[in-house]
Amino acid sequence: MIEIVGLTKSYGAITAVNNLSLEINRGEVFGLLGPNGAGKTTTIKMLTTLSKPDRGTCRIDGFDVVKNSYEIKKRIGIVPQENNLDRELTAYENLLIYAMLHQVADLEQKIAVSLLMVGLSDRKDSVASGFSGGMQRRLLLARALLHEPSVLFLDEPSIGLDPLIRRQMWDVIRKTKIEGRTVVITTHYIEEAETLCDRVGILSKGKLIVLDSPQALKASVGEYVVEHINAEGKLIQHICRNREEAHVIARGRDNGVTIRKTNLEDVFIKLTGERIE
Amino acid sequence: MMTEGWYPVFLREMLLFRRKLLKLSYLFSAMIVPIIYLVTFGLGLGRTVQLHGTDYLSYLIPGLVVMSSMNNSYTWVASALSLNRLYFKTFQVFVQAPISPSSIMIGEVLAGMVKGLFASLLLIVTSFLMPSSPAINAIFVGTLFLNCFLFASLGVIIGMTAKSHEDTSTYNNFFILPMAFFSGTFFPVNRMPELLRVVINVLPLTHANILIRKTQMDVEGFVSFLILLGYAAAFFWYGSRLIRNYNE
Repeated sequence: MIEIVGLTKSYGAITAVNNLSLEINRGEVFGLLGPNGAGKTTTIKMLTTLSKPDRGTCRIDGFDVVKNSYEIKKRIGIVPQENNLDRELTAYENLLIYAMLHQVADLEQKIAVSLLMVGLSDRKDSVASGFSGGMQRRLLLARALLHEPSVLFLDEPSIGLDPLIRRQMWDVIRKTKIEGRTVVITTHYIEEAETLCDRVGILSKGKLIVLDSPQALKASVGEYVVEHINAEGKLIQHICRNREEAHVIARGRDNGVTIRKTNLEDVFIKLTGERIE
Repeated sequence: MMTEGWYPVFLREMLLFRRKLLKLSYLFSAMIVPIIYLVTFGLGLGRTVQLHGTDYLSYLIPGLVVMSSMNNSYTWVASALSLNRLYFKTFQVFVQAPISPSSIMIGEVLAGMVKGLFASLLLIVTSFLMPSSPAINAIFVGTLFLNCFLFASLGVIIGMTAKSHEDTSTYNNFFILPMAFFSGTFFPVNRMPELLRVVINVLPLTHANILIRKTQMDVEGFVSFLILLGYAAAFFWYGSRLIRNYNE
């Protein structure tokens, strides 16, 4: 279980994370959703001991991330936003160094299983710099799971991936949840948050503005969205409580009117007046 | 969580170093500067010069060995650490692993020492082809190890504090390079102006140059040894502290 209370972090005059409080349950896939600069990565950095909070506390499985960082480091796996593989080392060497750093027992077998899980067994002796972006992300995921952490942090896990590789990545994350791990994902991909997450916290300018399941969040603003282009060429959106209301609004509009189900971006727009980009 | 975590940190550097060794450009870059000095000052200018009653080459070679050990121990650590921390973010993998800051420090310093000792060894081997070669005794070897340890630790400090990779070159130009020339590598410190000598006598390379040329330990050598030991301990402690306090 992860407990965050009043977490705050500033860089100069900019408050990256502002008084964040939330709880993440054991075995849950939790998403932090928000546009770039919302404070998602800073939050992950504080939860993974890389960054010290100015105020507030975070506890993972009862251990404080500042006071008991050693215990935290044993329990967490991290897929960072920026690829931090050793590009001049092979896939095997990257995993070997990581396994030794985390005192993994039976490391040869664990490395073999991890490479198999992400489909890189046949490339174990290739240097990481020769891998495609998707292969490097998969290797990062294999590395993060090598020591069987109880909490897996994924910072924008599918950024820059093509749809097929993204779905393969999602399958591994789902498998991780089935194995009982807690997963914390930051993303600005709406589909990713909706597909994977049990609950989603939406961040804007460092503040948590809403937290619930994707279904409940969407239902809270309305089920349908009517979109049309006005005379000035601007996209206009109406969020409607139900299908009937959507049809009433769509009726009589010019061509090009669409009715679709709401998504988490509509929730974000409704709450902040801005888009997630 | 004591210091057993140093080995993967060291092993990573050695795996990367092994790859570099397979590229001739690395060997060439490690060798070229000291060999140019050896040929220019030793064989060229040095043929007509005598120092302390011996030929100049005998004086120069130990100085070039400590200079080379300093350059390679320091530069490889400072440069790699700043790049790994600021750009490649591979340093963060160590910081987020359940190992102590001292383990990271030990791993990085040992790797820097290996690089410094390797470059020194190449120079020593080359010097055996010269008319005069260095007398290698326990003091010579001990000084070399201590010098590599000291400057690899300094490399960690610079690698941890540099705001950009270019900063490491700035430190190199303003601190390492002048030290290489003024600290008794090419000529005795007592030939420098008195005011400058006060500063030079504080620099660690000056004492490495004094110590490595001793055939027997005397008071001057012992004082230099203690000063080098003090620097080494201070740099190692401060480097470990910087790693412990790492915060993004």
